[in-house]
Amino acid sequence: MSFTRWVTIYGPTYATALVWTAITALAAACGAIVWGCLLLLLRLSGGGWGARAVDGYVQLFRNTPVLLPIYLIYFAFPLIGLPWPAVVCGTLALILQNGAYVSEILRGSVNAIDRVQFDAARSIGLAPWSTFRKIVLPQVLVYSIPALGNQIVLLLKDTSLLSAISITELTMQAKLLTEQTGAAYEAFIVVAVLYLVLVSGTEVAFRVTHRAVRWL
Amino acid sequence: MPAGSLALLTQGAVVSLLLAAGAIIGGTLLAILLAAMAFSRFAAVRIVYRVYVYIVRGTPLLVLALILFYAMPALDLRTGPYIAGTLVLIIYTGALFAEVFRGGVLAIPRPQWESARSLGLPPLAMFRKIVVPLVTRYTLPSYVNVCVMTFAVFTILGLAAAFYFVMCFGIDRLGRMLERHLALRGFAGVRA
Amino acid sequence: MIAIRGLQKSFGAVQVLHGIDLDIADGEVVALIGRSGCGKTTLLRCINFLEEYEAGEICLDGEPLWYRPGSDGARRRVPEAEARRMRQQMGIVFQQYNLFPHMTVLDNVVLGPRFSQAVSAPEAEALGRRLLARVGLEGKMAAYPAQLSGGQQQRVAIARALAMRPKVLLFDEITSALDPELVGEVEDVIRSLLSDRIMMVLVTHAVGFAREVAHRIAYIADGAIAELGPPSEVLDRPKDPGLKEFLRRVRA
Repeated sequence: MSFTRWVTIYGPTYATALVWTAITALAAACGAIVWGCLLLLLRLSGGGWGARAVDGYVQLFRNTPVLLPIYLIYFAFPLIGLPWPAVVCGTLALILQNGAYVSEILRGSVNAIDRVQFDAARSIGLAPWSTFRKIVLPQVLVYSIPALGNQIVLLLKDTSLLSAISITELTMQAKLLTEQTGAAYEAFIVVAVLYLVLVSGTEVAFRVTHRAVRWL
Repeated sequence: MPAGSLALLTQGAVVSLLLAAGAIIGGTLLAILLAAMAFSRFAAVRIVYRVYVYIVRGTPLLVLALILFYAMPALDLRTGPYIAGTLVLIIYTGALFAEVFRGGVLAIPRPQWESARSLGLPPLAMFRKIVVPLVTRYTLPSYVNVCVMTFAVFTILGLAAAFYFVMCFGIDRLGRMLERHLALRGFAGVRA
Repeated sequence: MIAIRGLQKSFGAVQVLHGIDLDIADGEVVALIGRSGCGKTTLLRCINFLEEYEAGEICLDGEPLWYRPGSDGARRRVPEAEARRMRQQMGIVFQQYNLFPHMTVLDNVVLGPRFSQAVSAPEAEALGRRLLARVGLEGKMAAYPAQLSGGQQQRVAIARALAMRPKVLLFDEITSALDPELVGEVEDVIRSLLSDRIMMVLVTHAVGFAREVAHRIAYIADGAIAELGPPSEVLDRPKDPGLKEFLRRVRA
């Protein structure tokens, strides 16, 4: 069947899947950034054991494949009495995984902040939490924008793995359509194009934000 | 049975390692070609590079693998997930390594390029003695990162395959047990 | 000798060199001085074709360099292999990042002779040792650039340029990036080269050193040579008002 016909027939089906991809990606991205900030806070304020705990967490999630937490949470949570829907499990797994990477990105940016600023903050009597909130965090987030952009793009692509737990996002949709109609080329090329659009959109969004914020 | 599945698991791990190594070698070779394209004097060739990297990096690995697996009929049935996975990973790591190499070339300070040109070094000598050593130094951490990522992907395949094999063999054993049992009960073995 | 006629160079819409005429006699040392952005470095880089130029001619010992009229009469770049041959007759030393960090000092020096001039390995090594001894670094032959001070690195860079047996040496502000106490050792090496009677073109801010080693000094302003002559005239009896102002600032 011709390409245009395919698109007109299955357009709406793809649209739903696209929304699922976008929603999970957005939710996981926000969650991962917040979780990464919390991990950073723990690292900075927890003294020796805080930093070690966060390091252990990061090592754990860095050295295991992304699919593992997804499967684990999806299959194990019902067994411990938390029968959450697949979407929640998948998003949670993505948050835990990417939060580790986000905290590493933020850690790199913290080192870029001049030590002098901490001395200045202490000498005006600023409490640690306020120092973190008003001095560390804003600068760290601004410095991290390019690297965070990269990470969010990776997260966006990782949403395709949620197809493994039967969430009907773009990749799952492509598989379903292939099984239904046998038209593998059409099914997957449309999905690839949609991913490219999402990825480009995200990259542009981060570039624009980076430029805008640097002006301030 | 437990000992058997442990052997299968290790076998799966070894196979994963070998295929990952193959993907990395293939990806590196492809990347050298791609990086050369990235610096070509012909704009058309550079565009081809940019488009290739854009598509390969903008699409999830799973989608690329499925495209190859489903939509390339010449490969899928006969080769199974291992070869398709290696092929996809060569394509993917090729793009990643190429960007890493390209960054390394751009990181060479301009006076060093100019020193090499001013010494009148022929292109082969320049590549062998200047570009390759410097780019290797600059890109080693990023290169290793990509290698680690590749191994991680293959462990997924290895794990999945190991489970698959374990289950298959388990079912197979069960089937044979049943056959023996039935044969003892007077049924002639039905062999396909 | 070098003959430069009508050299014009633009970067995009900005014309940086507005027609340079300059002759350099055999064994002569010419210093190029001027304010930042005047075009002195661009001029230097055109001489060994690190920058292309739109109009003008550069001749070395009568041979026109870098461009040649094509079969249709239009101006054409010479083929890359020939450009390489031409470049081998010139040595250049930059302000920074001269040496290849992944090679020892000796390997840096012999690289050119071995791979561009097909000198045999033992001969190249002997040449390298001689030159490194000459710049006072024979004890550092197996060291890597990172282990050397800035002044030592520049001296190695000069040895590397000399290893090609060039007809002309080009220096692009080679002491500007050095700590003050290291400048002297590099200037000493340049002084020692005077007896070799190689042509030298120095772009420099060190007006005092230029006075000492240069046979002529060219003051460049707005992409043209505003004043040219021996140091005693250019520095002590400047005519160009821009030059007077420049010298006043440099001395103050």
